[in-house]
Amino acid sequence: MRNRLRGGQQSSVVFKGIGSILATALFSVLLAGVAHAQGGQPVPWQIGFQEPVTSIARQIDSFHDFLMIVITVISLFVMGLLAYIIWKFNEKANPVPSKTTHNTKIEVIWTIVPILILLVICIPSFRLLFAQYTFPKADLVIKTTGNQWYWSYEYPDHGGMSFDQLMLRDDDDKPIDGPNGEPKVLAVDNFVVVPVNKNVELLVTASDVIHNWTIPAFGVKLDAIPGRVNRAWFNADKIGTYYGQCSELCGKDHAYMPIGVKVVSEADYATWLAKAKKEFASNEPVRKKAGDTKLAATAKENINR
Amino acid sequence: MSSSEHKHHDYHLIDPSPWPIMGAASAFVTAVGAIIWMKSLDDGDGVFGLTGWLPFAIGFTMILVTMFVWWRDVINEAEVEKAHTPVVQIHLRYGMIMFIMSEVMFFVAWFWAYFDVALFPGAGVMGFEAREAVTGGQWPPVAMETDGGYLKGTFDPWGIPLLNTIILLTSGATVTYAHHALLKDDRKGLIWGLALTVILGLTFTGFQVYEYMLASFSFGGHIYGATFFMATGFHGVHVIIGTIFLAVCLYRAIKGHFTAKQHFGFEAAAWYWHFVDVVWLFLFVSIYVWGAGTPIAH
Amino acid sequence: MSTQAHAADHDHDHKPGFVKRWLFSTNHKDIGTLYLIFAMVGGIIGGFLSMGIRAELAEPGMQIFSNPHMFNVFTTAHGLIMVFFMIMPSLFGGFGNWFVPLMIGAPDMAFPRLNNISFWLLPPALGLLVMSLFVEGPSGMNGAGIGWTAYPPHSTSGHPGPAVDFAILSLHLAGASSILSSINFITTIFNMRAPGMTLHKMPLFAWSILVTAFLLLLSLPVLAGAITMLLTDRNFGTTFFDPAGGGDPVLYQHLFWFFGHPEVYVIILPGFGLVSHIISTFSKKPVFGYLPMAYAMVAIGAVGFVVWAHHMYTAGLSLDTQAYFLAATMVIAVPTGIKIFSWIATMWGGSLSFPTPMLFAIGFIFLFTVGGVTGVVLANPGIDRAFHDTVYVVAHFHYTMSIGALFTLFAGWYYWFPKMTGFMYNEALGKLHFWMIFIGVNVTFFPQHFSGMAGMPRRHADYPDALAGWNMVSTIGAWITSAAMAVFFFAMVLAFMRKQKAGDNPWGVGATTLEWTVSSPPPFHTFEKLPKVK
Ligand code: HEA
Ligand code: HEA
Ligand code: CUA
Ligand SMILES: [Cu+2]
Repeated sequence: MRNRLRGGQQSSVVFKGIGSILATALFSVLLAGVAHAQGGQPVPWQIGFQEPVTSIARQIDSFHDFLMIVITVISLFVMGLLAYIIWKFNEKANPVPSKTTHNTKIEVIWTIVPILILLVICIPSFRLLFAQYTFPKADLVIKTTGNQWYWSYEYPDHGGMSFDQLMLRDDDDKPIDGPNGEPKVLAVDNFVVVPVNKNVELLVTASDVIHNWTIPAFGVKLDAIPGRVNRAWFNADKIGTYYGQCSELCGKDHAYMPIGVKVVSEADYATWLAKAKKEFASNEPVRKKAGDTKLAATAKENINR
Repeated sequence: MSSSEHKHHDYHLIDPSPWPIMGAASAFVTAVGAIIWMKSLDDGDGVFGLTGWLPFAIGFTMILVTMFVWWRDVINEAEVEKAHTPVVQIHLRYGMIMFIMSEVMFFVAWFWAYFDVALFPGAGVMGFEAREAVTGGQWPPVAMETDGGYLKGTFDPWGIPLLNTIILLTSGATVTYAHHALLKDDRKGLIWGLALTVILGLTFTGFQVYEYMLASFSFGGHIYGATFFMATGFHGVHVIIGTIFLAVCLYRAIKGHFTAKQHFGFEAAAWYWHFVDVVWLFLFVSIYVWGAGTPIAH
Repeated sequence: MSTQAHAADHDHDHKPGFVKRWLFSTNHKDIGTLYLIFAMVGGIIGGFLSMGIRAELAEPGMQIFSNPHMFNVFTTAHGLIMVFFMIMPSLFGGFGNWFVPLMIGAPDMAFPRLNNISFWLLPPALGLLVMSLFVEGPSGMNGAGIGWTAYPPHSTSGHPGPAVDFAILSLHLAGASSILSSINFITTIFNMRAPGMTLHKMPLFAWSILVTAFLLLLSLPVLAGAITMLLTDRNFGTTFFDPAGGGDPVLYQHLFWFFGHPEVYVIILPGFGLVSHIISTFSKKPVFGYLPMAYAMVAIGAVGFVVWAHHMYTAGLSLDTQAYFLAATMVIAVPTGIKIFSWIATMWGGSLSFPTPMLFAIGFIFLFTVGGVTGVVLANPGIDRAFHDTVYVVAHFHYTMSIGALFTLFAGWYYWFPKMTGFMYNEALGKLHFWMIFIGVNVTFFPQHFSGMAGMPRRHADYPDALAGWNMVSTIGAWITSAAMAVFFFAMVLAFMRKQKAGDNPWGVGATTLEWTVSSPPPFHTFEKLPKVK
């Protein structure tokens, strides 16, 4: 029995095997930061962020690369220590255990060093946070409202033009690819269109339950909360089509309310705007007006109790 | 005591008891009953084809019965079996202190809800536009006569609320008087002190009910009513529980249960009462006085 | 710390009959056993639900659910059951009950009857949660698809049917259970330590339960308040969380996370405690840095109360608020680091053996570090903007819970199994279980870092085709984990069939806490004569 309990030698070998696999895995994450996928949406077997197209997103990206190094080193350090101990201090190698229970110097070190590491992390972290909250003068304001289960947009600068954005579905309500090869689950009917290299201020709210508006490539993610108007901004500097998905649990079709933004040249934007104004301006939004009446209705009901 | 023959310590090992599992079963019935009841309000369909308050009432009665038989056992163990040795009494003290701490944290939740709106009634940096529309950006909120008029005015804190404050503070004094009497083995003083406390507690509850009837705002539809009634309401429930607790102590005092040396049941009731008292002071200052603003006559 | 064994105990070991012993129990060991059995039931249900989740996510498109709402229901129930009805009943309720009195040399818990109701409140609580699956939630659909966090207005106006009420009352009962058992543990630990056992000599597992109990005692009532507000908003027209009446959905998030963050330390701290004993036992060395280890747990508990809003970075908190919570959250890495390094130092210079509990303990140290450091990444609001509500977060918390806490659960289980049952389990099967689950959970959760970074939100029943690869890997990992669990249950059945005697202390000189001084299984009443601790 005793012998079977003490399988130190074999274990240490396997431990090291697994260790190297994990080390490879961790390193691949580390490298992932460098080579990201292109194009505003995930790609197969992706292991890094989507390609960042705003200065904030790039800052997130590089801060993450830095963090990745820190946490990989810490994890490998812990793993290395464990591997060393398993190799060096197993029963066979070290039959007589020491009795050490204290070593003030080392204890101070492993308290101070993490504090220093954390302080170092804090510097870029605060810089990034403050950058995110430094609102530049807006060239364009877009208001978006989350609804179950689609997004409504208003362009208050352009006569309150507004439209809804729904995921493309087939007749059986299944997600389908878009006409121009937009991928299913992400493909939408009406894209939000913004000009490239412009400061876009985003006002986010919701009409029924909490939703969350995000475009990973912009480094923007903000809860859409009924009754609140949250604010964010972005300045996309690369023309293209970018996708995000509702990121706050909002019920049945939470997975089916994607966000699609097209970043276009100034000229294309003007063309789109002219067309969109005609198409959407006079109309009520396709389904219902943003900032809908549902909550107001509950309130009435409550009052009447 | 099946185990006491071998016991070499003063702890209280308790024989198996049916009450805990009965209490849990009662809680289950009460919970399901509560849902059935809530889902029957406003002509709802109930749950599982059941409607009405009866299942809840059954569950709640079961809880009360469980409490009665359980605590009857505890009192027996103290008075008859003499199982509450000094160390066991310290247990009880710790237990009660911890229980009151958890109760304090429960009230933290209600005060949090209150201060969330009282301190930030306007849209503020967080773009809270819906709230500003309701409160007018101020606390207490602007009175609204329209739309069913759910907030016509607030209470004058210097009327019934002040009276109730005085009543509760006095009751704190009478219960302390009772305690001093008990410590001097003055049974009559103890009984009178307790009786007075119970009467003051009942008076408080009476006034509170009366005041609720005068309210010019309701429970539903407006955050003012929600925070006001839930915070003061939960306090009220605690007053009632405390009053019952004290009444039981009064009964036990009359039966001759407490001695100058051993009377933790009484002390627990007194602690609880003081806790209820302190919560009231916070309610009075923050919800009644501050929340009243300039009282509006009604 | 050890003392004389209790030979006398064996003679008069009268056990009550079945009903009295198991239904009316006032015996900490029996109640501990009940908790552990209950946790197994919870773990099996929660495990099945997770397999449902993974089966759905195996490929893009809808696989096993025709209505995505059912997926949300599964996720919600999985989260709640794993946390409240698997981890907490086993580590805190089960091991706490079994071993706190044994380790501190107390004959039982301070309030044995209260102890029993703490347990018996759990089956009704689980019952209510299971009932919620079969009643209406959103109009025309069954079950509560609100996430374990139950954010309003989705949990209020979004679910008019009774399902959410069932879930809420389930939490009320589970919460009451935990508050009562916390009162019990705190009293027991403060007041029933054997003569000579000062707090500073008390085993670390008892310390961990003490801190955990305080966390529960102070945080659960706030949750109770929050979910009561949900209840009144849902049924009585109050507007705590309804903006149309001046309420605020974000208020709920504050209240929930004021509970929710301490809760994650509730989940891990008992594991921290017992891992210390296991590491020390199998290194044949005393715990390194005992006092810092104890106070690190106290610090984790205390700081754990002031970091809650790091779950709300995208809710629109002001800049200052986010900056504060960034700094506060980071602080917790320091005491946690002290624990990690002290475990390593305990092993350093030891004479290590590697039976199953030790494998789980070492696996825990490494993989918990991986989960912890991704927590430090998330602590930065600037970056959490990218990760919030993606499956990267799912990876983080499964590394801390489904790997960290779960590994400590199995470590404790194998370590104390001989003590609790008197039987030895089969080492080969135990090790097989370890290696399979080690591979299984890593294959499941490591790729979630990738899909999360790529932008896959959590709680999504369907996803773009591009994410198919990693999700399939993840699902395969879940199957491996299931197979590992089959090995576990087989090993346990085998142990009970073989009935191989374990002896009072199967682990040898390294095992120094008091539970190893009594017989295996311990007599019905332990320490009728209090042990003296030098
Ligand atoms: C057992 C449970 C557990 C534990 C222990 C932790 C531990 C930590 N968690 Fe985690 N967390 C969860 C369970 C847990 N978490 C859950 C369930 C959620 C999601 C809830 C939901 O939304 O459903 C979550 C979510 C979550 C978020 C929110 C993410 C989001 O939704 O956007 C954040 C953000 O700050 C966070 C941070 C941390 C940190 C900093 C720690 C720290 O305590 C970790 C400390 C440990 C280490 C750092 C490793 C060891 C230390 C060293 C080796 C020393 C050296 C290290 C450094 C110098 C860095 N967690
Ligand atoms: C301790 C907590 C815990 C544990 C162990 C697990 C275990 C697992 N979890 Fe889960 N999970 C959560 C807590 C946990 N989870 C939470 C809180 C959420 C968030 C919910 C939400 O979004 O609201 C979540 C969400 C969640 C998701 C995300 C869903 C989504 O966002 O869409 C996924 C997807 O892969 C998942 C998968 C799994 C898998 C495959 C396992 C496997 O590892 C499971 C394998 C099964 C076991 C390992 C059985 C374990 C135990 C026993 C049988 C008991 C033994 C008892 C004794 C020894 C006494 N879980
Ligand atoms: Cu909208 Cu999720
Ligand atoms: Cu947290």
